[in-house]
Amino acid sequence: MSSIAPAMRHVRGFDVVRPLSIGMLIFMMMPLVFLPLASIFIFGTSNGLDKFWAALTAPEAIFALKLSMATSFWATVFNVIFGLFAAYVLSRHNFWGRNALIVTISLPTAIPTAVAGFALLLLWGPYGILGRLLAPQGFQIMFTAGAIILANIFVTFPLAFGVIKPVFDTMSHSLEEASATIGATRWQTFWHVTLPSLRGAIVSGALLTFARAVGEFGSTILVSGNLAGRTQTAPLYIFAKFNEGQIEAANAIAIVLALFSFLIFSVLFFARDWLDVD
Amino acid sequence: MKAKETLIPRVEEPVASVPQPPAAASVVGLSKRFGKTSVLENISFDVAEGEVLVLLGASGSGKTTILRIIAGLEMPYTGKVILHGKDVTELPARERGVGVIFQSYALFPKMTVEKNIGYGLRIRKRRRKEIRETVNELLSLVQLNEHRKKYPSQLSGGQQQRVAIARTLAYKPEVLLFDEPFGALDTQTRVHLRREIRALLKKVNVPSIFITHDQEEALELGDRVAVLNVGHVEQIGTPFEIYNHPATEYVATFLGAANLLDAVVGQDSLEVGSARIPATLDSAKFKPGDCVKIVFRPEDVVLTRGDLSQSRHSRIGSARIDEITFVGAYERLRMHMDLVGEECKTDETPFYLTTQTPERQTTKAIIATRPKPEASATRLQVGERVSVALTSFTVLPPQSTKGTN
Repeated sequence: MSSIAPAMRHVRGFDVVRPLSIGMLIFMMMPLVFLPLASIFIFGTSNGLDKFWAALTAPEAIFALKLSMATSFWATVFNVIFGLFAAYVLSRHNFWGRNALIVTISLPTAIPTAVAGFALLLLWGPYGILGRLLAPQGFQIMFTAGAIILANIFVTFPLAFGVIKPVFDTMSHSLEEASATIGATRWQTFWHVTLPSLRGAIVSGALLTFARAVGEFGSTILVSGNLAGRTQTAPLYIFAKFNEGQIEAANAIAIVLALFSFLIFSVLFFARDWLDVD
Repeated sequence: MKAKETLIPRVEEPVASVPQPPAAASVVGLSKRFGKTSVLENISFDVAEGEVLVLLGASGSGKTTILRIIAGLEMPYTGKVILHGKDVTELPARERGVGVIFQSYALFPKMTVEKNIGYGLRIRKRRRKEIRETVNELLSLVQLNEHRKKYPSQLSGGQQQRVAIARTLAYKPEVLLFDEPFGALDTQTRVHLRREIRALLKKVNVPSIFITHDQEEALELGDRVAVLNVGHVEQIGTPFEIYNHPATEYVATFLGAANLLDAVVGQDSLEVGSARIPATLDSAKFKPGDCVKIVFRPEDVVLTRGDLSQSRHSRIGSARIDEITFVGAYERLRMHMDLVGEECKTDETPFYLTTQTPERQTTKAIIATRPKPEASATRLQVGERVSVALTSFTVLPPQSTKGTN
């Protein structure tokens, strides 16, 4: 067996399996990933760049992009800080119910986003558990930018935590002990010793969270009210324009979002190594 | 257990009589439990100003726990830690002013060598100029000037260890604690660095506590050595005392090869098998008829061909050579001694009861070493009978032979 197999795989020292398997992989990805992505670009620019540019700079489109960026930014800030804190608590302390907490934090990724949006409505909405009490006071968070941030926080909740916690777990405890014996307070130790080791994890956690938040659709459409020029994020804009038959308008934003995620993942891919250099 | 009680007064006797400067660091009656298991029992010792004390013990002897308690990284169950006359038992690690050198070095990976060394001063908010001067001074002290801009991961193990030492010296700690500092290094670096650190410690004159399981390291580094065994101190003494006059069987066997033989105390003598060797023993500790053990090192054994009795040394019997191994600087001989003599009362042997005679013959394996000149002067063969004498030996008190295995 072993005498035949090498002879088949290697034709005069040339490994046939190598180009075959690579070609196979690319072929399989073609209809699934490459072609859909390519068609956005092909379609978007087929009517000329002028039209593309006009669609992109429409006030509603600009607003949708800005709103997406702003809400995603605040959700990211919150979730990175929260993820850092949660990872610190959960990897430094062992207590009863610790694993239950870890599972709960990770749960939002497994919940369908529409369910997440619905859940938020049931809590904060005009007839929600809390919203019912707050509405008479004139406090209404649903159908505002705040609702979008809340939805973004919910669906991206475990992402930064998930990246930061493993780094915490593998970090040698003796570094923090050494810092303490040298005379540093807990805060100094965290700032000078712990945090620098987490730089890479924090950046990639933030990028992941941001990318995921920018693209969020299911929960946003439920909680935002989808009001053009007021609470309409970029993915909602694409959906709305598509429904209205304005394919070019939808397409222009789609291109921006696609490029944007491409950029983020390139940064993630290359910056991680660079940030983690000791 | 009992060995420990007899031991503590023995160590502290000179301390009480001679007026001593106050100890730089001392622990008093330290004990520690993890859950229900007791890992330390009533540990007490002092470290004098500028002294190096080595805590020597096998893994699980509790030596690291003692160190962590002194550093403030662990709380004792009972007992006190006193640094320069101040009770620091309740103080957190950062307020104790101790320097810990971890086995893993624990250098901060995102800081350069000079940032690592200056860390203690930076968090103390010292002036920039002062920090720079101290760092420069320490860099030349540990000879790492050309590596100052490097990150820890770019240094060898020995260099990292030197950075770790400089980092602790920077803030002038009250006491230095070394947690198996050479554990992760190869033998050659270890021996080299050990001498360097010994010289460095004498230069900076900071009292230090070293932890190790390596007896050679302990003997070479320590002004005094404390031998630990499952959570208690077996003996504290100078390396010479520990090696040549072990107080317990554990100490004797832990520090290098040791031969142990049963003996019975007589009037100004000891009976080993059928041999009677002159010995003046402390009458407070030994009574005639006591069953004791004598300890001697392989290099304390003198072998002579035939049955000639030697006048200079204490002859203890004859032996048959089983094996001769050449080990470089000396040769090692494994042999069996024939011991015919009065049965030791405490030995539980079925012989004694069945044969109904106090006499019995046993053989006992011992090891001897001979330096090269002697080995080549008198060549010995396997199977040969030789006469065995001792140049020196230590008698273990009766209590200490129990419960130390």
